[in-house]
Amino acid sequence: MPWYLHLALRQLFPTGRRFPFFTLISVLGVALGVTVLVVVMSIMGGFAYEIRHLIVDTEGEVQIVARGPVSDYASVVKRVESVPGVAAATPYARDAVMVKFGDKPAFPMLRGLDLSSVEKVTQLGRYVVVGSLDDLDDDSVILSDQIASSLGANVGDSIEVYSPLIINKLSADAVFLPRLVRVVGILHIGHQQLDSSTVYGTLRLAQDLYGLGTAVHGIDVRLTPGVNEDDAVARINQVLPESIRAFSWEDSFSDFLWVLNLERSMIFFLLLFIVIVAAFSVTSSLLISVVRKTREIGLLGALGARPVHVAMCFCAQGLFIGVLGTASGLAAGFFALSIRNNVVLWVARVTQRQEVLRRFYQFSELPSHTSGSTVALIIVLTIVISTLAGMIPAWRAARLKPVEALRSE
Amino acid sequence: MSEPVLSARGLRKSFHSGDAMLEVLRGVTLEVAAGESVSIRGESGSGKSTLLNLLAGLDAPDSGTVLWGGTPDTSASRRAAYLGMVFQSFYLVPELDALANVLLARRILGGVDRAARERARALIASVGLADRAHHLPSHLSGGERQRVALARALMNRPNLILADEPTGNLDERTGNEVVELLLGLCASANTALVLVTHNALHAAKTRRSLTLTAGSLGGA
Repeated sequence: MPWYLHLALRQLFPTGRRFPFFTLISVLGVALGVTVLVVVMSIMGGFAYEIRHLIVDTEGEVQIVARGPVSDYASVVKRVESVPGVAAATPYARDAVMVKFGDKPAFPMLRGLDLSSVEKVTQLGRYVVVGSLDDLDDDSVILSDQIASSLGANVGDSIEVYSPLIINKLSADAVFLPRLVRVVGILHIGHQQLDSSTVYGTLRLAQDLYGLGTAVHGIDVRLTPGVNEDDAVARINQVLPESIRAFSWEDSFSDFLWVLNLERSMIFFLLLFIVIVAAFSVTSSLLISVVRKTREIGLLGALGARPVHVAMCFCAQGLFIGVLGTASGLAAGFFALSIRNNVVLWVARVTQRQEVLRRFYQFSELPSHTSGSTVALIIVLTIVISTLAGMIPAWRAARLKPVEALRSE
Repeated sequence: MSEPVLSARGLRKSFHSGDAMLEVLRGVTLEVAAGESVSIRGESGSGKSTLLNLLAGLDAPDSGTVLWGGTPDTSASRRAAYLGMVFQSFYLVPELDALANVLLARRILGGVDRAARERARALIASVGLADRAHHLPSHLSGGERQRVALARALMNRPNLILADEPTGNLDERTGNEVVELLLGLCASANTALVLVTHNALHAAKTRRSLTLTAGSLGGA
């Protein structure tokens, strides 16, 4: 090992002595920054990951939509399912409706499902907490739990459904009657937005309500695992007419994902300042070290050390602090993530705000997803910043002339 | 006749002292042969340490030349192999134990192998500190620290050792022991020694004794 690395290690971790205070403070500063970065980025990544999970679980990885209704959807489904990488496809009809139970209204989206194929594409059945998808017929619906709660409706109750078609008839002074349907199930997805705005029925029911005849609004597609979504979309579009287009879930939610990524980037940038402030602490303690060790630096010169190697000795101390701080920060960050839900639940219990948490949070648990690329970015940036923090003290040490350094008091 | 280990010719050095220039060395000339021991005495402020710094290549003279073994290369990398230095204040690295301090000289020269470790242990033993090899400087007495510094100076088998008042921080008895040890080790290794000292008795033990007066070296 070169002498400057050996001496750097010994100065940070002297033989037979406890962890020096300056080293401890510097490492803790860097570790704190890394911990906060890992925890916050993982939780933000968790939100994005859960959203992807929920979208894919409820609508498949690829959505096919047309400028208007898709009339010959059976042949479209057949063509799409013949594309390599496509596991299954299911048609749907979806539009806004008004539902009413007693005197309580709600304005969800009603999604009509093709019961023969929906479970090949989505995992909706997993989220039905009361009843099941099999209970659905053309005169029944499954409500998301928040809609059911706001209406006060339970399984077995009948609710009125007003569709845009009925409202059009109303404006034409025609006689209209709402569609009366039974509630046969309650669904809880775990995403506040979906749980507060979705009602599921059969495709036939939705077609009737929206006046589609035998047409549908779109087709959801599930891909075989490991297939690249963009490649699959390109292949699907090749077999579709120009008026019908396939989009990956990322394309369909691109604005939302862009905002999510922007938020993540901004938070990352802001939290990186913790590491930068910690790096100033590294600079400060190494500068103190250079002042304290001026005569030792002079000695190194007298022993024949080159100034560049003296500089590297201090730069390496910044590097070692960065490596140790990063390792400790990662360990602390992953530990904090492992107990995050216990902490959140404990805070909610102590403050008696469990319901508020559930109502306003997008998810019933604090999600977490740590991507390898984010961790790699945190590691590289922290180590680079810490090493750069050692540059100023290193430069000062290298500029010391041995003869003056040896003379210093 | 072989080339002198150290050859200094016409060394001049001045320093600013307020608005005035203080000429500390006024054309110092000195030659030291291989294995020779030379002492330099002088009053405080006479320029002994300045001369030693010029001889060590740590500072540049205003004029004059310093040759090591007949070559003017006094760069840091050559210094590591050619010179050993001993200081009044020992200058041991506090984070390294005695053995590691001795080995530091070799590390700077480049690479520590098994032979180097054995030599460091042998040197530590030769200065009477075999049982204290793994003690930190803070756990050693002043005399012991200076012995470690002697071992470090000899680690790279230098041609020349420059010692700047090595007994200045030691009591008389310990100082005598250190000088005896230094002279003995240099003699056994045939290493030339330039010893800067205030002490006439220590100076008398060297082969040649010089005095620095008014910026010039005179023989004794």
